[in-house]
Amino acid sequence: MSDTTKAKPASTPQGFFDKHYHVLRRLHSLTGIVPIGVFLIAHLTTNSSLLWGKWGLRHEGHDETIVSGGVHYFWKEVQWINNQIPHLLLIEIGLWLAIAFHSVLGVYYARSGKSNTARYAYQGNWRYRMQRLSGYVALLYIFYHIATLRWGWSFLVPGGAKWSADFAASTLAAALRGSNEGFTAMGIAVSLFYFVGITASVYHFANGLWTAAITWGLTISQQAQQRWGFASFALGVGLMGMAWASLAGALLTKPSEMQRIELQLLQEKGKGGAMPGEGAALVDATPLVNVPSDPEGTQPAAGGS
Amino acid sequence: MIQTLTSTSSAALAASNRRIAKQGRTVQVSIKRCDGPNKPSRWETFKVTTERGMNVISALMQIAANPTTIDGKQTTPPVWDSGCLEEVCGSCTMVINGKVRQSCSCLLDDYVPNEGDTLTLEPMSKFPVIRDLWVDRERLFHNLKRVKAWVPIDGTYSLGAGPRETPAKQETRYKLSECMSCGCCLEACPQFNVEEDKAQWDTSFIGAHAISQARLFNEHETGKQLKDERIDVLMGPGGVNDCGNAQNCVKVCPKHIPLTESIAAIGRAVTIRSFVKFFKG
Repeated sequence: MSDTTKAKPASTPQGFFDKHYHVLRRLHSLTGIVPIGVFLIAHLTTNSSLLWGKWGLRHEGHDETIVSGGVHYFWKEVQWINNQIPHLLLIEIGLWLAIAFHSVLGVYYARSGKSNTARYAYQGNWRYRMQRLSGYVALLYIFYHIATLRWGWSFLVPGGAKWSADFAASTLAAALRGSNEGFTAMGIAVSLFYFVGITASVYHFANGLWTAAITWGLTISQQAQQRWGFASFALGVGLMGMAWASLAGALLTKPSEMQRIELQLLQEKGKGGAMPGEGAALVDATPLVNVPSDPEGTQPAAGGS
Repeated sequence: MIQTLTSTSSAALAASNRRIAKQGRTVQVSIKRCDGPNKPSRWETFKVTTERGMNVISALMQIAANPTTIDGKQTTPPVWDSGCLEEVCGSCTMVINGKVRQSCSCLLDDYVPNEGDTLTLEPMSKFPVIRDLWVDRERLFHNLKRVKAWVPIDGTYSLGAGPRETPAKQETRYKLSECMSCGCCLEACPQFNVEEDKAQWDTSFIGAHAISQARLFNEHETGKQLKDERIDVLMGPGGVNDCGNAQNCVKVCPKHIPLTESIAAIGRAVTIRSFVKFFKG
């Protein structure tokens, strides 16, 4: 048989990408779901609590408004994450590496295709195109998101707000609005970028979940692919709702108002706004603008104004 | 007016077009011309007088008999490839009104039912043009060789009766066996693109047709002897992992072969084989 054809498998793959082609492709697929997708679900659940937190507090939330309950619950969640989860930094570094890996390979793979939706305007073809586009958008957005709110690159934040776990909601809101009170022009731009970014990220995950099932050979028949498509779509709609709820929760209340609630929470916890040994971090964490009135005098040293 | 036929609405639109089409009308046929490999291309438009049941090939024959453009310019007869004229050989595949299909089964009444309507013909864009509408599909066949799309018996001596095939498997395989290597799935695929350097063929995307044929022969009781070799190729660069799941292939396949099911089935086979290789060596 062998002499009837010169066709041979690519027996001498060249370069790192070709040599480890299959493993890299499948790791790319896997990292999109675990850990990135799983983290996305947890992250959006926490963040959307800015809207549903009042009910999450159960009996504690009886006297709370939607806003104060949301800020309260979100604050509790963030405190728990930052103070109780062991090896948090290690988990974070793992996530960052996974995102970097998925992004670098994703861009490399996406460049191998040539979109042709103009000629073949099928829905599936559009999803293919949007998967790549949303990947690029999500990459830019997630980088900005982590760099500004986690790594503290406040020079990229209009108004220069720095996120802190003690003022979780207010510093987030200030970074979005560009000030502690109303929206600045740049703040509106950042908020819109967030809207586009989270929308792209959720789409990318939901559609990726659908294609991953084909890639790994879980769904084979057209009916199975369709069923899993409905499931992925439903998950995507749910996550999209949570993503938009998170953003709405962060945008609808003034940071200064959130700050008042957070200061009260810190005071109740007897921290006076400072965790033991975190005094230095707290200076960074100080709200962007001084809270006008602080009746208990518990406000930590003022930073910016 | 250019009618655009999509696979889903094509039957209904074609039927209604056919009803209003009057024979003996004059329609225009725009052809993307090219004098030879790597030569620049140009558009030329011709008038065609329709006859009952006329297809694109008979329109081309009419043009070739009198190759005068609508501007009255005398030109060379257009060149195309065709064979069976009953949509089973795949050689007359071209891009008609922007979408890939066989030209022999493309009736003018369906596409250009009114006086003065224009039909556009282009060669497939994913293969090198030999001349006009005629392309070189060598890479398509090369990719079938990459996955050893055959049953490994050389016929030099009698091997006796082959293994039993179950009717259920025959049913699955019959549909896959209808592939005529026309190239529609490749033309519509955003992941399959022109590769002029033949040395790159073995590491660039192999295409839905070859993946589906690998499945056809992997499911064959004798053909499965080469299963691991086929899967190893499809696991490598340019294999099934290059698929981007746009699923245009299954939409444009004239034989309605479940190409995306084949891609998923091979995806599963690749998954299993990679685990076996990893743990077993």
